[in-house]
Amino acid sequence: MKFKLVRTTKVDQLIKKPNNTKNQAEQTIETLKKNTRNIDDVLFKKIPTDEGIVTVIYSSSLVEKMTLQSMVFIPLANHINQIHQVAEVIDPSDLKDVTAKLDSGQTLLYFHQTNTILTIDTYSAPTRAITSTMTESTVIGPQDAFSESLETNISLVRRRIQNPKLKNEDQTIGTEANIRISIMYMDDTVNKESLDTLKKRINKIDYPSFTDISVLKQLIEDNPLSPFPQYYMSVRPDSISRYLIDGRIVIFMDNSQAAVVCPTSFFEMFISVEDYYNRWTTASLLRMLRFFGFFLTIMITPMYISALTFHPEILPYELLLNLQESRSKVPFPPLFEVLFIELIIEVLREAGSRMPAKVGQTIGIVGGIVIGTAAVEAGLISNILVVLVATSALLSFLPPIFLMSNTSRFIRYFFILSAGLFGLFGQMLAFAWLITHLEGLKSLGTPYLAPFIPRKASDLLDSIIRFPTALLKSKTGISKSQKK
Amino acid sequence: MNRKFKLMFTLFVLLFLVGCSEKEVKVPLEEVGMVGIMAFDYIDEDTTKLTVAIPQYSPEAKRNTQIFSVKTDLVSKGIVKIEKLSDKKVILNQLRVVLINEEYARKGRVEKVIQNLYRDSEVGNKVLIAVVNGNGEELLKGQYLDKPNINFYLNDLLLPSINTAFNPNTNIHDFIYTVTNPVFDPILPIIEKIDDKIEIKGVALFKNKHMIESITPSEALIIQALQGKKKLAPLPLDLNKGNGKEIVMLDLIESKVKIKSNKNHKSPKLNIVLNIKGTLSEYQGKREHELNTPKSIAILEDDINKQLRKDIEEFLKKLKGLKIDPIGLSENFRMYYKGKWNDKLTDATIAKLKVDVHVKTSIISTGTLK
Amino acid sequence: MSTNKQKFLNRYHVIFLVQSAMVGTGILTLPQKLSSVGYSQTLFPILFGVIASLTLLPMIWMNSKYPNENLFRINEILLGKWLGKGVNLFIVLQFLVFSSGIISSYMHLIQSTALPEQTITAPAFFFILLLVYIVRGGIRSVARFCIMTFFITIPMLYFLLWAIEKGEMSHFLPFFNYNGKEFYDAMKKGYLSILGYELIMFYFPNIIDQKKAYKHALIGIWISIVLCLITTAVSVMYFSEWQLKYVEFSVLNLFKAGEFSFIERIDIIGMTLWVFLILSTVTAYLWCAKRGMDSLLSKERKNYIYILALIVFLIIKMPFSQEFQEKLFSASSYVGYVILVWPIFLAIVHLLRKKQVQT
Repeated sequence: MKFKLVRTTKVDQLIKKPNNTKNQAEQTIETLKKNTRNIDDVLFKKIPTDEGIVTVIYSSSLVEKMTLQSMVFIPLANHINQIHQVAEVIDPSDLKDVTAKLDSGQTLLYFHQTNTILTIDTYSAPTRAITSTMTESTVIGPQDAFSESLETNISLVRRRIQNPKLKNEDQTIGTEANIRISIMYMDDTVNKESLDTLKKRINKIDYPSFTDISVLKQLIEDNPLSPFPQYYMSVRPDSISRYLIDGRIVIFMDNSQAAVVCPTSFFEMFISVEDYYNRWTTASLLRMLRFFGFFLTIMITPMYISALTFHPEILPYELLLNLQESRSKVPFPPLFEVLFIELIIEVLREAGSRMPAKVGQTIGIVGGIVIGTAAVEAGLISNILVVLVATSALLSFLPPIFLMSNTSRFIRYFFILSAGLFGLFGQMLAFAWLITHLEGLKSLGTPYLAPFIPRKASDLLDSIIRFPTALLKSKTGISKSQKK
Repeated sequence: MNRKFKLMFTLFVLLFLVGCSEKEVKVPLEEVGMVGIMAFDYIDEDTTKLTVAIPQYSPEAKRNTQIFSVKTDLVSKGIVKIEKLSDKKVILNQLRVVLINEEYARKGRVEKVIQNLYRDSEVGNKVLIAVVNGNGEELLKGQYLDKPNINFYLNDLLLPSINTAFNPNTNIHDFIYTVTNPVFDPILPIIEKIDDKIEIKGVALFKNKHMIESITPSEALIIQALQGKKKLAPLPLDLNKGNGKEIVMLDLIESKVKIKSNKNHKSPKLNIVLNIKGTLSEYQGKREHELNTPKSIAILEDDINKQLRKDIEEFLKKLKGLKIDPIGLSENFRMYYKGKWNDKLTDATIAKLKVDVHVKTSIISTGTLK
Repeated sequence: MSTNKQKFLNRYHVIFLVQSAMVGTGILTLPQKLSSVGYSQTLFPILFGVIASLTLLPMIWMNSKYPNENLFRINEILLGKWLGKGVNLFIVLQFLVFSSGIISSYMHLIQSTALPEQTITAPAFFFILLLVYIVRGGIRSVARFCIMTFFITIPMLYFLLWAIEKGEMSHFLPFFNYNGKEFYDAMKKGYLSILGYELIMFYFPNIIDQKKAYKHALIGIWISIVLCLITTAVSVMYFSEWQLKYVEFSVLNLFKAGEFSFIERIDIIGMTLWVFLILSTVTAYLWCAKRGMDSLLSKERKNYIYILALIVFLIIKMPFSQEFQEKLFSASSYVGYVILVWPIFLAIVHLLRKKQVQT
């Protein structure tokens, strides 16, 4: 809930003019009703008060009864001055605007005698409580996560950064559904150029509605065609405030749980905020695991194809004979074998996420075990491949950013196909493509491979190896923060 | 318009390119016969009997290795012939061992065959070569009851097992390197089938591409020691020092060799200092109960030194008689020779070579028993 | 970033552009090219390094006289429009043929090691596609790719470990064991392997810190020289003189010496990973050729790169005999030497003109 305090002196002058005729009042009510026709949750209530009849208009789905009672009805009956203190005056001649006010949860008070309209912000739509996150859970560290309410989210961040330099600029976007967003940054460190670019991009957007911030994210990314996410997304207030302090820009959106951080880099997709809570040794180990896991997951199954179709000599003899034996019953060439089992894994994963939680787990296990073993026994795939595919599927879930893990799964197919074409050579070509693509990408003007194309040597302290916390004071080069 | 044109153009070009690519048939792994061992047996000057061992994976098959034998004059021709016999495509990508029978080694074109394999990029450089005493085909076809797969058996036998067993393993690169290097003469291990076992019998010495002599493992150990190998196989020694029969076994040897030449290939002289550190693992003889003081050990060390020195000198004399240089002693003169070194210079150097051998043995321990 | 739109190559870009353009297929065959001097080739790369540093001087000097122009423009300024354009056309063609030679020799290597029973058409096609993708990003994209290449491929040095273990240090002696003819032969064939630093004349106008460009380019050159030195040294240790002479791709055979417990043949990994080095070299050449096209036709278009790529592809796939191809490629390599001395010629023209203006 939010109350806007308005200076009352002007309001009083406006109200104290009893020059209104009854006709005019009815006319106004009529227009108002016309404007809100077929919006059945808008209610009109006539209430006699000290200052004549007042019509209270509000949207019952956005305003709770309790709020209404305590903020409107009781003051109207008893202390009407209170109303004047909190209310805002709007121009009664412009009634088109009124519906927008109703939609944002404000209550309108029409004073028949004076022909004035006051609004009180009574927005009190039901919101979710602050719960812990399911998608980015950590063992150590704060457990609270953003909810779908913009105010809650901002308050969660403001609680962590109590600094007047922390600014948030609100804006409404969406040509049809008006969605509130808030751009948050630290005034003294943020790069003003990047901020301007971002604002320009947001203002240019011509899109009807935003159901989640990820829609907005895709519209303002530097290269929308790339399979890689170019902005960081998180639902963790601790992670977001870390980035804010570093000088990044954060975008919040009402009705959307996650916040978007920009600019970011490829490498940050493998950073979990928990790394900063762990000992630096553990954190470094985990980071290396995630980072090299990404390259492993796109390389393992293509390797299998290359070795089997093009370079049998690179495998040890014993392993090769085992492979030959398990492959002897398989009717497809290795490429199709791999594609087949990879698709089955995708199906399992996708089906598992759609199924109700109770059924999902059972079906997942049944699917995994039954399909896995049965397919091997039926001679559709070789058992070694099952191990490889399962490993690479697990590895693909290592990145803390889910979008990145989706990306790794997608580009794996690219690698599989190129391995099927030219074996290891194809894989290396694909790898060269990947490198070129990554180095060409930008995140709000910052190179995507930032710490590796060194912009700032101190960035390397917080890259694959996370150095001890005392060394990580300085701002990263990625945010291009202002020099103090 | 421009974009559309570009797109159409690209598609057009791509369409044509499809025609360029021939349909390439990939042979999947399971339809490939990977030759593990090749054996060459001498028939006459032009023809060779080529035998290959290809492992079988099918669990139903009675034998786990297919063995094909053909007569041929060229290696690749032989492979083509074998392909006709086999149900699979025969590839050499996983070749592990090349066997050459002794007669072939003495008379045949070993160097050409190995060079052929060296040139083939599918064949690795780590293929081991060995000389077979007798017939290579028989050795491959033999029944080895406790080692069912000949492919693994031979490979494991010839690969050095962690520095303990004696092993003069020679792979394709080593062979080509020593054959083409004027300061070296190649050596190859000799294996022989004895009942249902295969044994490393000794080492074959080559002179100019042909085998001329075989020596025992203990002599071959001297070659390794003088080549500067840091860890040696256990060394048995007969000491004949007036104390009657004495046998010493040194184990876990670390050796270090220093060779100094007088840098003059016309009157060559070498000063060889061999340092050996090891454990006395076994001793048989009269002094058995005296070997617990440092002094008595020092005497034993001295005896070992003398014996080793004698052995080495005798062996070098033997090499001199054969006019070969498997150790590469002439390298010590090539290093200081301006101009192109060649086989003749090696021969001349070896013939005139004077060697001064010093051995220093130190026994680190005699085991844990007092 | 930088306010000047034309200048965006920082020192790392310069170092690695110079370094990567030098290391391509050349280093693979370097020990074989130098084999006429046998075991004494070890120190040749250092000699090459000295020569390269010296020949770099006139290039930088020439460019610093015209800090905003590349060699193509300088040619036109100094030699007049038509003569300049003629020379430029020649350079563009030379670059195209030279890069085709690099790609073709690498493709044949790949064909014989990693992709037997396959024609090189399709691999070459995809290779060139990737090439275009990189070059389209401009010289900065090429430079970044070079940096990444360096760090991705430098671990390959580890693959030499086995060869070093097996090698004989005594092969280094005696030093300088060759006569004049052998020396000349080795110089002529071997120096080709380190060509590539001359490209700095084409991207010089894009360098931010032009005063230090010579220093940075030197660092790049000497990184490459050290790599060459390691290659020749290890080859000398590991091979016999006969092998040095007859083993064409020495590095390939050096890699063959090693094995991991799970990968038996490192050479295949090494050779396929080499594609990065080839890409980084060829992209640099192709980018320069593209700049040449821009200056020839006096306008800048991104589409030229497709035409150039097509030409390269056609040269590789041209229906001439192997012999003719080889002759063409080796001729183009020797023409590369002309480009090395070209700036000296230009410098003379520059000085003469200056005098004319003064008098």
